Amino acid sequence: MDWQPLWLTFRLASITSVILLVMAMPVAYWLAFGKFKGRGVVEAIIGMPLVLPPSVIGFYLLLAFSPSYWFGAWIEKVLGMRLVFSFPGLVIASILYSLPFMVYPIRAGLQSLPSSLREASYTLGKSEWTTFYKVLLPNCKPAILTAFVLTFAHTVGEFGVVLMIGGNIPGVTKVASVAIYNEVEALNYPAANQYAMVLFAITFVILLLVYSINNRLLRVRQSS
Amino acid sequence: MNIQRVFLLFSVILAGCSKPSDKIVVATAANVQYVMKEIQKEFARETGEEIQIVVGSSGKLTAQIREGAPFDVFVSADTKYPQEIYKNGGSEEEPRIYATGSLVLWAKDIPETELSTAILATEKVKKIAVPNPRNAPYGEAAIEVLKAQVLFEKTEKKLVYGESIAQTAQYISTGSVEAGFNALSIVLSPEMKDKGHYIIIDSTFHKPIQQAAILLKHSDASPKKESSTKFYHFLYSDKAKQIFKKYGYK
Repeated sequence: MDWQPLWLTFRLASITSVILLVMAMPVAYWLAFGKFKGRGVVEAIIGMPLVLPPSVIGFYLLLAFSPSYWFGAWIEKVLGMRLVFSFPGLVIASILYSLPFMVYPIRAGLQSLPSSLREASYTLGKSEWTTFYKVLLPNCKPAILTAFVLTFAHTVGEFGVVLMIGGNIPGVTKVASVAIYNEVEALNYPAANQYAMVLFAITFVILLLVYSINNRLLRVRQSS
Repeated sequence: MNIQRVFLLFSVILAGCSKPSDKIVVATAANVQYVMKEIQKEFARETGEEIQIVVGSSGKLTAQIREGAPFDVFVSADTKYPQEIYKNGGSEEEPRIYATGSLVLWAKDIPETELSTAILATEKVKKIAVPNPRNAPYGEAAIEVLKAQVLFEKTEKKLVYGESIAQTAQYISTGSVEAGFNALSIVLSPEMKDKGHYIIIDSTFHKPIQQAAILLKHSDASPKKESSTKFYHFLYSDKAKQIFKKYGYK
């Protein structure tokens, strides 16, 4: 059994989740407390990857990343790199693809905090940033953990987008979900089964951990 | 729009759905898809019978046939997969070769005068698209060519694998890669004509790309048995041979 595709899947999922965690915080805060027009439009755009077929995202990214189109050509000129068929390209695609999985749980966590928390902090002269960082975030740990893990798991399960823009290069873009597909095509069911079992077991363990940690955190909160 | 109305609308839509058609279903390898459209027309003209085409890579279609997909005839891109189906008892007769394919090197923006396998090793070409050699015969042939011409070491790092001939064609025709290997039947198709330039690879550099079809097993009571057999024989008729020739098959 070749561990490379599995290792690549977990590298992709980890990098995507960490980048998204940083990116999603301000977006989630803004959606939770910001007052602005056109809120529905922003929410719809962020939620699109939940409902769009991955083939649609993959198709448009293939065109966007291709050096024959302006965006891909511009990236190639400025950064000297090509996003299609590359690991950085997969990371960007995964960030788009898993965005709502990070933003929505954090936003829900922030909104569920009692408003007296924010008000007390402001009354004590703390800035908005300090309040967010020192008061609000520590109080929605379960939500952040859930968001992180859902994002990670969703990226592990990514298939359609990678199939479209990855080009199946071993060690670069051949992730585990694509490796399974290849093995089935090559009628090599035992190998496909090995990959599938590993993914199945790992995702189950991750989710089990999250829910048990979350339940404990919630119990602590309720008893205090 | 209350909830009952939505349900009512749904049930009306669902009620309007038709039964599965009784047309025969032909599972078709991606490189044969455009030719098959023409064969479909010709077959309908001669017999008045319609066929349905399902396109995929030969490997995927074979896996689906093994798991009981409702296909009647399988037109593969190679001989290995149909043979596999025959060995597993998926057909009463051995697969037969219907055509031999030709491999091309195809590029969107490299002019024909400069296009050769040698250019693949130069700076001009950063990425080369190849159908996945593990399950696509044209990909296997492409790798044989690169090895035979001592270009494989220099180009290995540039290779990008499409999951079928069709996806590889997509990579080449959108310019995501500078060049790639494909089937002559694809570049001659109306959909891909004028999308760049191609050269035919000398077939002495690779094993012949023989393509076989197989008539899948039917019970004697099956209403599709007769028309499937008729279509399978039509594939080997002179009429069909002419159409295959037009698309660059030998």
